[in-house]
Amino acid sequence: MKKALLKDAFKEIRTSYKRFISILCMALLGVGFFAGLRASSPDMVKTIDKYYKDQNVYDIQIMSTLGLTDDDIKAIQGIENVDKVYGTYSEDVLINLDNKEYVSKIMTVEDVNKPVVVEGNLPENKNECLVEQSFLTRTNKNIGDEIVVEPNEENELLQETTLKIVGVAESPVYISRERGNTDLGAGTIDNFIYVDKENIDSDVYTEIYVTLKDSQKYETSSNKYEDYVEETKNKIEEIKDEREKARYDEVIGKAKDELEKAEKEFNEQKTDGEKKIKDAEEEIENAKKEIEDGEKEIESNEKSADRKFSSAETKIKNAKAEISKNEKKLESTIKTTEEQIQKSEEKRQELVVNLETVNSSLETVNSSYNNILEKLKDENLSDEEKAILNAQKEELEKQKTTLEKNQKDLKAGIKEIENQVNSADSKLKDAKKQIESAKSEIEKQEKQLASTKSSTYAQINSAKDKIEESKKELEDGEKELNEQKEEFNSKIDEAEQELIDAKQEVEDINDPEWYILDRNQNSGYASYIQDTESINNLSIVFPIVFFAIAALVSLTSMTRMVEEERQELGTLKALGYNKFHIMLKYLIYSSLATIIGGVIGIFIGIRLIPSVITKMYKMMYTTLPDPVIALNSDNSMLGLTIIYICIVGATIYAIVKELSNKPAILLRPKAPKIGKRVLLERITPIWRRLNFSQKVTIRNIFRYKKRFLMTIIGICGCTALILTGFGLKDSISAILPNQYEKVFKYDFQVTLKSSLDDNQKEEVITELTNNSGINKVVETYMVAGTAINEECEEDIQIVVPDNTEKLKEVINFYDVKTDEVMDLKTNEVIVSDKLAELLDIEEGDTIKLEGIDDTTKEVKVSNITENYISHYVYMSKDLYDSLYEEEYKPNVLLVKDNNLTKEQEEEISSKLLDGGKVSGVSLNETIMTTLDETLSSLNYVVVILIISAGLLAFVVLYNLSNVNISERIRELATIKVLGFYDKEVYNYISRETVLLTIIGIALGLVAGYFLNYYIIGTCEINMLRFAKVIHPLSYLYAILITVAFTLIVNAITYFALKKIDMISSLKSVE
Amino acid sequence: MAYIEFKNVCKDYVMGEVTIHALMNTNLSIEKGELVVIVGPSGAGKTTALNILGGMDTVTRGKVVVDGKEISRLKNRDMIKYRREDIGFVFQFYNLVQNLTALENVELATQICKNSLNPIDVLNKVGLSERKNNFPSQLSGGEQQRVAIARAIAKNPKLLLCDEPTGALDYKTGKQILKLLQDTARKENMTVIIITHNAAIAPMADKIIKFKNGTAEDIIINENPKPIEEIEW
Repeated sequence: MKKALLKDAFKEIRTSYKRFISILCMALLGVGFFAGLRASSPDMVKTIDKYYKDQNVYDIQIMSTLGLTDDDIKAIQGIENVDKVYGTYSEDVLINLDNKEYVSKIMTVEDVNKPVVVEGNLPENKNECLVEQSFLTRTNKNIGDEIVVEPNEENELLQETTLKIVGVAESPVYISRERGNTDLGAGTIDNFIYVDKENIDSDVYTEIYVTLKDSQKYETSSNKYEDYVEETKNKIEEIKDEREKARYDEVIGKAKDELEKAEKEFNEQKTDGEKKIKDAEEEIENAKKEIEDGEKEIESNEKSADRKFSSAETKIKNAKAEISKNEKKLESTIKTTEEQIQKSEEKRQELVVNLETVNSSLETVNSSYNNILEKLKDENLSDEEKAILNAQKEELEKQKTTLEKNQKDLKAGIKEIENQVNSADSKLKDAKKQIESAKSEIEKQEKQLASTKSSTYAQINSAKDKIEESKKELEDGEKELNEQKEEFNSKIDEAEQELIDAKQEVEDINDPEWYILDRNQNSGYASYIQDTESINNLSIVFPIVFFAIAALVSLTSMTRMVEEERQELGTLKALGYNKFHIMLKYLIYSSLATIIGGVIGIFIGIRLIPSVITKMYKMMYTTLPDPVIALNSDNSMLGLTIIYICIVGATIYAIVKELSNKPAILLRPKAPKIGKRVLLERITPIWRRLNFSQKVTIRNIFRYKKRFLMTIIGICGCTALILTGFGLKDSISAILPNQYEKVFKYDFQVTLKSSLDDNQKEEVITELTNNSGINKVVETYMVAGTAINEECEEDIQIVVPDNTEKLKEVINFYDVKTDEVMDLKTNEVIVSDKLAELLDIEEGDTIKLEGIDDTTKEVKVSNITENYISHYVYMSKDLYDSLYEEEYKPNVLLVKDNNLTKEQEEEISSKLLDGGKVSGVSLNETIMTTLDETLSSLNYVVVILIISAGLLAFVVLYNLSNVNISERIRELATIKVLGFYDKEVYNYISRETVLLTIIGIALGLVAGYFLNYYIIGTCEINMLRFAKVIHPLSYLYAILITVAFTLIVNAITYFALKKIDMISSLKSVE
Repeated sequence: MAYIEFKNVCKDYVMGEVTIHALMNTNLSIEKGELVVIVGPSGAGKTTALNILGGMDTVTRGKVVVDGKEISRLKNRDMIKYRREDIGFVFQFYNLVQNLTALENVELATQICKNSLNPIDVLNKVGLSERKNNFPSQLSGGEQQRVAIARAIAKNPKLLLCDEPTGALDYKTGKQILKLLQDTARKENMTVIIITHNAAIAPMADKIIKFKNGTAEDIIINENPKPIEEIEW
């Protein structure tokens, strides 16, 4: 090694430190920007990777429509690669505080997805919880305060609903501000709450989190990681059907058992109740009959009593009349009898007298008979005497018998009369007696009748009373029965309805579906990873521009340096040094500048840029930990190598070019650039019009073509980068207004509950249309689906309007090509442009849609419409009906209002949600605010770009200006000697710079326009269409910033020119 | 008082730890219209004196007066103004702007002066009427120096300062240039100061100033200056 050369190299650095520093700065900027920007994306990934590993975040998440069981856990545990399986619980709840409703997601503190406790401690008791900082800020609560979770109708997850805040936590599963959607409240979750596992009252898990054995080895989102997770997911997919079926059977079995039991019980109770009612009814009926009978009886009794009594009374009356008649009769009888008796007495007297005569005649006969008989007794009587006597005797006997008979008759007559009298007498007596007794009897009877009557009627009346009472009782009973019947019926109906509902529910229990998700379905994580990809895309393009410019400018610088020292080269060559040794000085010089600059750049770049970018992203992803800044040696070394090759290569090129000359030529001063006429001079009319200094300027510009080109490229690049930065900002900030003001004219979207029938739906629509603030309500059916082609598939929303014409009032279909408003055709669909681009579809092509009915249909695309966020396919109702079996049923209302404020919209929203017919309302305003926050953080990246571009421009211009001055120092000194004022000297140079700047800016605007579209194309996220728009203001900013940097450099040039030492500049030999 | 007056002029250059005394108590005076030749060895201070006189350098101490104006006290802008209006400079290496034609090089000077002469006339005067549209690279050394002189005198300056104007020229051309300078002084009554290390040409001057060791050691007034044609060296 030749010491002298080495010494010369270092001395060179000292003397031309400006050049050294400017090359160093070039390398610094180029490498720093490259390494830093390139490192940003990996560092962002590393940051989340470390965070996720620290918090043991899941690799796979499984959710099921019917919950998950320990059996599921066991089954998953058995799968290859699976490390740990955690069954966890979560639920969306409402919390009311100060009349405000907060929708919160309850989660349990687990070993997986461990929350980061920022303040306070983890919940240790059932009634403790962790909340997030924003919740405390918004609610003005503090640690130690209590919150009450509103009871949830469907199922109660928590045992304790009054929770004490014991700390503030951050959740690794919620790194962004998005907390997801729910069917509670306004539809979006405001915050999460961590509770202790002990507080959970549930026998099924809400979700299962799986960590994988080797996932610690891989970096999250890396291909290896994704493949590994995918592989395991596929394995889980294999047991999915079986587990789903098992769970279904279990749930259905249980539900059916329960249902059967319930039905049985219901039926039992129903029949029981019915029987009881029937019995009661019968009883009442019987009682009624009895009462009726009683009444009848009473009536008949009464009647019969009446009859009896009246007949009795008549009888008595009759009897009495009889009696009195009899009495009268008796009296007359008595009279006649007594007369008869008297007559009989008289007759008897007569008879007695007759008898006495008879008796006396008999005695005389008897005595004559006895004399005859005595006469007959003498035996001597002669038979004639005897016969006379006998005839006398016979006569006498005859007489005697007749007499005797008379006597007897008389006696009997007397007796008879006596008897007659006696009997009449006794008869009278009897009659009298009889009458007497009859009378007394009657009296008695009358008395008896009266008493009987009164007692009977008393009896009847009491019976009547009793009946009345019973009747009343019966009525009451009936009433009661009816009431009970009604109650029973309604209860039964209710129970029946419940049963029907329960049956329906059981019937509605669909086959459970497992959702096997990974981290990419976590919206915060996914958008973060997507952001890292955008940054990665950005980090490819921008550093290239930087490199290109830095390399070109360094080349100019080094070429100039070599040219300046050509005599030295010649001397060394003449002295016999070989090329390498001669080159060494410059190699050392440029290598040192490059390596020092590059290494400083690396250290600044990989620390500063990733941390700045990560910090900016922290505004979106608030809970991310501090960025992990890794020494990303690959990219750093790559950057350093590239810039080294560029700069040192340029140096070698310049030297080799010079050294190809003979030493003699080298030793002679290099012939100054020959003055030449420029083309413009031949166009006399123009050339004549130029004043002297303009002519000079133009000729000078064409004289130093290389520098002219460099300057233009530098300024052009700077302007382009700045314009790209602003354009990117414009594009990003135009997304929201474009989507939500230009394309979507509606203001909010109302999601109807799927259970609504047509009437209920109409009610909601009427409620809306009745509101004077509402302008239009359009019914649509919106369903998520997938559009596929051979290479890729994209998630889409299929929108089927109820009325195609009405849809046009709330959604504008602008044709991407013509910007004209188009119609939705009956048999063709309209597709949003990003989707068309991703699937490579053009108008007239067909698109394959998956989703509805689980079918894949091919439809023709009529137009491609302007759209900025997510993908949409619009389809007419007719087409829908012809394609799908599932009945068309609108589920989303697109509502346009009359410029209501956000508060008014929110009021309508909460009213709708209170109505219970609506499962969610999403205000475009709200979406815009949230998205705006997200997108605006990208602006900071843009700021970095602008600043870097400005810095680059500055260094480039400064460097070129230095080269310019050094190359033309004699000329400048000369004009100074001629007496040009400082300003004139400056103008002499700056006229060129200004012209070049103008050209550079003009070209830069054009280049920026294209670069912007290129960048937009590169870093556009699949779900977004960046608006292809650059505001006129952005052009202005790009111009102004470039001009500002040019002015700064010009100011520096001004002082550099002022300092030019005429004497020394002119002394040296040219 | 003379037209040009140097009074006790000192000029020090500080080069790190070393201070070089380029001029030490230099005193001299030149009258208007004089053709002055300054001779002396290298490093004697003659260029420094000329630079100071030409407004390109400042004095460390002392006073320089030109036409009653104390240029040693001029501020930067006035100094430029002085250079612009009062001084014409001719260098050994012409210092033409390569990118400008002969005429344009002259115009470069005249466009900033109030009382400038017509560039074409001046070029005619220096005998370059045919070549006025040529670029310096297309001209010979002598022609280039003529352009430089034309550029200097076109400003119509008070002083024409020439630093080794013939140093890079061959004898014949050099002589022609000197002739041009002498003619200019005579015809235009311009004060011309020529630095040369060639003492042989001194007789052409009205005044010869000999520099040695940073000071004007000897000032000779030449009563009978010789026309340059008569001088041989």
